[in-house]
Amino acid sequence: MESPDYYDIRHVNGSSVHIEIDNGRIESASGSFSDTAVLRVLKKSGWGIVSIENYGSKSKKEINEYIKTALRYASATAEKVELAEAKSGILKVPAMKEDPREISLEEKCGLLMEIERAAAIKDIINTRANYTEGSGTVHFEDSSGNEYEYEICRSGYSVSAVAKRGDIIQAGRESEHTILGLNLRHKAEKGRSAAERAVSLLDAKPAKGGIMDAVLDQELAGVFAHEAVGHASEGDLVKEGVSVLKGKMGERIGNGILTVVDDPTLPEFGFMPVDCEGILPARTEIIKNGVLNSYLHNRQTLAAVGDGDAGHARAQTGEVPVVRMSNTFIENGDSSYDEVIAECRNGILLKGSRGGQVDPGRGVFQFNAEYGYLIENGELSGMVRDLSLSGEILKTLHDIVLCADDRRMNPGYCGKSGQNVPVTDGSPHLLLKNAVIGGMG
Amino acid sequence: MMADAIGNKIANGDDGSEIIDRILNAGRKLGYETEVYFVTGKGINLELKGKLIGEACGSETWAMGVRVIKDGRIGCSSTNSPSRWEDCLNSAIAGSKFSDMQEWGGMAKPSKPAVSSLNVFDKNIADCDIATAKELIERMLSAAEGKGAEIAGGSGSLSVGTTTVANTEGVCYSLEKTGCGVSMETIDGTSTGYEFDSSGFLKDLDPERVGREACEMAVFSKNGGDIATGKYDVILSPLSVCQLLSAVVIPSLSGRNVHSKRSYLEGKLGECVFDEKLSLYDNPFEGESARLYDAEGVPTKRIDFVKDGVVEAFAYDLRTAYRYGEKSTGSAVRAGAGGAPVIGTHNICLDGKRENIFDEKAVFATGIVGAHTANGVTGDFSVELSNASWMNAGVKENPIKSAMLSGNIFDMLKNLSGISKESRDFGSGVIPYLRFSELSVIGR
Repeated sequence: MESPDYYDIRHVNGSSVHIEIDNGRIESASGSFSDTAVLRVLKKSGWGIVSIENYGSKSKKEINEYIKTALRYASATAEKVELAEAKSGILKVPAMKEDPREISLEEKCGLLMEIERAAAIKDIINTRANYTEGSGTVHFEDSSGNEYEYEICRSGYSVSAVAKRGDIIQAGRESEHTILGLNLRHKAEKGRSAAERAVSLLDAKPAKGGIMDAVLDQELAGVFAHEAVGHASEGDLVKEGVSVLKGKMGERIGNGILTVVDDPTLPEFGFMPVDCEGILPARTEIIKNGVLNSYLHNRQTLAAVGDGDAGHARAQTGEVPVVRMSNTFIENGDSSYDEVIAECRNGILLKGSRGGQVDPGRGVFQFNAEYGYLIENGELSGMVRDLSLSGEILKTLHDIVLCADDRRMNPGYCGKSGQNVPVTDGSPHLLLKNAVIGGMG
Repeated sequence: MMADAIGNKIANGDDGSEIIDRILNAGRKLGYETEVYFVTGKGINLELKGKLIGEACGSETWAMGVRVIKDGRIGCSSTNSPSRWEDCLNSAIAGSKFSDMQEWGGMAKPSKPAVSSLNVFDKNIADCDIATAKELIERMLSAAEGKGAEIAGGSGSLSVGTTTVANTEGVCYSLEKTGCGVSMETIDGTSTGYEFDSSGFLKDLDPERVGREACEMAVFSKNGGDIATGKYDVILSPLSVCQLLSAVVIPSLSGRNVHSKRSYLEGKLGECVFDEKLSLYDNPFEGESARLYDAEGVPTKRIDFVKDGVVEAFAYDLRTAYRYGEKSTGSAVRAGAGGAPVIGTHNICLDGKRENIFDEKAVFATGIVGAHTANGVTGDFSVELSNASWMNAGVKENPIKSAMLSGNIFDMLKNLSGISKESRDFGSGVIPYLRFSELSVIGR
């Protein structure tokens, strides 16, 4: 048989649990099983890839057939692929305090119900809660003799509440996800807090759009770190020329107080013990004191672009690895939260996030806050709703003039190339000058 | 071991009838109404890295979802391992014991579809030949040649798949369909462009248009000017309209969201909520997503959600229909075999009084960035426009560098200026250009 220049196989044998509660009723409590592998080969030019379901039952002979198929696919490619050398290895998966898989479905339903019921307060017309648990064994091997296996369990919940008074409808939401074990106990206050937010938004005024100074809370500033900085530093985008950070290595691209990091080794939701190419994950400082310091890479983009670290290849089960973030955050500064608000003087405090999107080639981002407060004479005043923030990445990085010392991390999922992977974003409070705020007031 | 042999046989092209029968019989014996949703297929996808093919990826799909119901308690599970069919059935049964009881009038019974057949299979796609996929990419690249933009990426794909829904009431429907698609990403300086096309039939796919327009978009949008914050007439492209409909309007038509009070349209059945010019319906018999039966075996039908501005219907699956004393509208959909069926649309069409909406000058949005951040309950949104420009007498001129659009999608559809004669067919929706007056645009 013709043999590939390189191959790797990443096999995930997993199961998942999902519980959904809607207005106090358990709508579903389901479990699923999957067994999928992705085989990649290189021969002369680009990647030949086969995604294989029910991989566990395949014989050696069948796997050799898949390698042949992948080689045939590879011959349709034209791009020359070089793989940079990088340190292979695996980290220990942090221990769980309480393994969710050992807790009965019945007990998990009961715990989720406590959180969901806590949201059923006055003016709330709908409550909903979801629990997801995904666990599995990941096995990686490549033609260079690297072979790793680990087991990980990710779990978490979300709770949301809809409030209505007259014609006004508003919603509030809380969620938490972790790799450190079951996080459903004693969380009723999260249900209550989602509901109270929805109710208080009924009295909030629509924000008035325009250009103003803004304070971003830890969650929204974390989304900024992820969307605006993180994506633009991904080596595949730099390689294809669709990042505004291309060609800017070593240049000052932001205020000197700004350091932005992606660190897959932290025991946060975006943790991975080994990347999808068998590389040992390491902390990468994307921006250091305002200067562009490193791109995030896989082995191919490191060889093609340089200036950064491999070890950032990630994939959803059954999908092709791409360059992704893990735990991305802005480092603490030395101002206090009170100083940041006082320094803003007149502007707006943006809190929470309803998600965002970026066009890294154009260098433009957009995201929505869940709510906010006007800042008048250095103090918080009225609550406002339905606000968004958009801007140009490079301009915004210079306009961040203060970082507080109160960094917090928020877990979630990031979508790219049709794949969702678990990530954490984080930041301290930031003061952003001349922010473009969208609102309907 | 027996199950393994069956599994391998199916993975090698069997229609699944043997394993489906086995699960239905086992479920029936335990006293459960049982349903199997079974998906097999294959596909090939070529990815452009710059203007060279960098990845060629083949995939085979074998997956099934099992749903069981007893005494109004519903349980679901799924797997892609034929050998785990018993675990899958047992997991669905275990889940059903914890779910709350609801009104349930039985799974779908065998019935005739509203039309006799669908045209969704192209034999030219069925073998997912890599040379055919490569030719699509080459056609797209040659149309992009010399257009001035750099090609950053793109793709060409072919797929074929069969979905089967079968239950213990005797339903067993299969549909085999094909699909093909292309996309291209371009850049000129810091101006980006993106276009795509997809179809069930090779002859209907237009890779040349995608290559040409993706390049023209990036080149045209270069050196965009500023726009002052203010109120403007705005024309949204079919893609922009589709993005906002998907984020807010389609979820608000779900019977479940309506009855759970998570929809703006709750309590508004029979009311004129939208502009009288506007109608919105689901036509499940056309397009790539066409189907004769929904994901739980109920015959599909045309649903007139909005007729001349009046809300006339909401979408229901069996579960929501039984719970609230309604009838299923054949609106159960599944994204693959995992999870439970949910309420969705098959091929949403926005229609109404068509006219020339391009005569007078307006801001034009090719697409929008961040539609998913819209408030799904109230319809309030604030998004960044992509490849925005002015449009005068139907011609795009003077690109706008950056602009944010704020508004409420329900208010906008209540005060619509006009619906274009032209529509774009997305495969799961047929959507025209829409014109609005006095929308809030925030410049830099």
